[in-house]
Amino acid sequence: MTGKHLLLRALKDKGVKYIFGYTGGAIMPIFDEMDKMGAFRFVMSRHEQGAAFMSQGISRASLSTGNPQIGVCMTTSGPGAMNLATGLADAYMDSVPMLAVTGQVATGVIATDAFQESDVVGVMMPICKQTYMPLAADEVEATVHEAFYVANTGRGGPILIDIPKDVQNSQVADDYQFEAKSYRPNLPGFYYHPTPEREPLQRAIDLINRSERPVMFCGHGVVNSNAGKTLLKFAEKVNIPIASTMHGLSAIPADHPLHLGMMGMHGTVEANRAISEADLLISFGMRFDDRVTGKLNEYAQNADVIHVEIDASEIDKNVATSVAINADVYRTLHVLAGDPMLTYKPRRRWFEKIEGFRQVMAEDLRQEIETGVGDDGKLLMKTIVHQLSELTDGQDLIVPDVGQHQMMAARFYNFQTENSWFASGGAGTMGASLPMAIGVKLARPDERVWSISGDGGFQMNAQELGTIMEQQLDVKIIILNNGYLGMVRQWQTLFFDGRYAGTPMQSPDFGLMAQAYGLPYRKVETLEDVIPALQQAIEHKGAIVLEFVCDPSEVILPMIPAGGGFEDMIVKRPGQQTPETSNSDGEKS
Amino acid sequence: MKRRAILAFMLDRPGVLNKVSMLIRKKMYNVDTLTVCSSRKAGVSRMTITLREDDEAKVQQVIKQLEKFTEVVSVKELDTDHSYWREVAVVKLEVPASHLESFHGRYNFEVLEQKSADIHILQVAGSTRRIDSFLDEVGQEHVIEIARTGVTALEK
Repeated sequence: MTGKHLLLRALKDKGVKYIFGYTGGAIMPIFDEMDKMGAFRFVMSRHEQGAAFMSQGISRASLSTGNPQIGVCMTTSGPGAMNLATGLADAYMDSVPMLAVTGQVATGVIATDAFQESDVVGVMMPICKQTYMPLAADEVEATVHEAFYVANTGRGGPILIDIPKDVQNSQVADDYQFEAKSYRPNLPGFYYHPTPEREPLQRAIDLINRSERPVMFCGHGVVNSNAGKTLLKFAEKVNIPIASTMHGLSAIPADHPLHLGMMGMHGTVEANRAISEADLLISFGMRFDDRVTGKLNEYAQNADVIHVEIDASEIDKNVATSVAINADVYRTLHVLAGDPMLTYKPRRRWFEKIEGFRQVMAEDLRQEIETGVGDDGKLLMKTIVHQLSELTDGQDLIVPDVGQHQMMAARFYNFQTENSWFASGGAGTMGASLPMAIGVKLARPDERVWSISGDGGFQMNAQELGTIMEQQLDVKIIILNNGYLGMVRQWQTLFFDGRYAGTPMQSPDFGLMAQAYGLPYRKVETLEDVIPALQQAIEHKGAIVLEFVCDPSEVILPMIPAGGGFEDMIVKRPGQQTPETSNSDGEKS
Repeated sequence: MKRRAILAFMLDRPGVLNKVSMLIRKKMYNVDTLTVCSSRKAGVSRMTITLREDDEAKVQQVIKQLEKFTEVVSVKELDTDHSYWREVAVVKLEVPASHLESFHGRYNFEVLEQKSADIHILQVAGSTRRIDSFLDEVGQEHVIEIARTGVTALEK
């Protein structure tokens, strides 16, 4: 048996169904063996970065199904491997388990600057949870099994295996044996604490029972440990409102009465103000990043913090905790939800106060959504997302790209399905949506998948239309085209005196592009056409491209400026003094 | 700033030292010395990292980041009261032999070689402060070349 065969045997043993990738000189032997084995569905991306995000899509979307998968991508050495870097760094930031297998030049020529040789392990080490380079065929199978174990143990993360070409082709000794079922990796100090300890839990319970103005945080860890329902059970039992991080969205129904929506830079007024005034924050599976906290020394100054997190290094990293619980989010919530010592409190004054916060922007937003167009008569993104949400009853799977439209989707889609929001968050990689949506669709083929991009991000991985065409995947593609890089433009409007440096963008004819890939296309320019177009996409069997011509001056509010505190939250559009004069947008260009 | 020592045992796998040094750079830790040797246990490396840091949370962060490595066996901070921190310096000095005489008995050093009447190669062992003070007393201006190992530490 050869290294290449053992690699694929291990992938098969680990339940891998799809392999995303792009072949080339140093990986050809494995591709050839894969073809002979016929055990996988190979999906050829049009760029290696696409393959990395497709793998993420599989991992992210399948974790809430009965058959969680780890996405696998496979590329050749040198540029093939380097093109994975952004996708791996993105997975690392967002705790997504995945596996990248890269071919490497043969061991005999490593370090000679051979054709398509790059120091792949050296480059990927700081952006992967672990990297491996097996140097003999008999190391390959154990390496793959260890990689899967590491990827999925504790906080998830990407793993890279770089396999020299001669190792792929070389034979193991006749007496080679490997028992996949009984295999345990030899990692004596690598463990995590799934079960919460009683002592900190007791202190947490005391704080919760004493608190008058608590807020609960639903982070990515709630989604990743499938704990949405348990979180709700706990929150209802103690009657505490819940604010979500961007990655925590879709863990619980967005319109649940206890839900305050998203927190942070573009979070809702009610979530952010409640956090400012809280006396206790109970956070589940999140890492208090700067987009969540704003200026750290002004953050939630009067609140005790209970931090439940699987990754010990995240506890006390940015925000000092009163009670640290280093454990699995689901197991902790399960214990809390059943704990008889926790008491229900009506918290009438607290909820009244929060209702007041909710009203700060409610009317403005309602009016904007209803108006549906900006001053120039072009469509508002929030209205389009709102209509999509209404038409799909909030049931569909949403894969946004990165930018202004992403925040619109986060805020205005009424998520009802658990684990239905798949976004590049920590890294904020433009171009993630289209390839990630491909992985999501393959992981959840019976559900409707929407890739929503801006005109900028769409063109960063637009080549994956080729993959959608070839694989005949039913991904509904929405391009919210405002002719600018919208989020940067918003910052320019607010903080750079309206100088739009590097943000205006001429796009190709998206209709001709769709046609080139054999996909139906519809351009939407009027409010009246929004619902019929979305309806057409829903009814059409197969992929379709919808382009919406959007108002470039639309802004996503509220906004806490980068480096600012919650007190600096902007709730009015530029030039907008009162809700009555809200039709002036103060645009300078 | 307070000097701290972290003792880490790691599986001796390819790239572990690289990972440690990358972590130091990535997180911008202010590291003074990093020494690596094999441990009593086959396949396990022993690393001593010294850094200057007053902020307790930052030191804990270094430890937690090291504990995240899949190769980790154990990581702990060694405090000065309960551990020995030692290093060795090999020094080429230009001083008359008579000048060195006065240091005998007060410092733990050994003359490895006398190259000429006033060129000596010495080995000095002890705590960092002790070696510094030896060099100060001899006179830094007499030092032609010096090689220091960096700190290694052992719990009492």
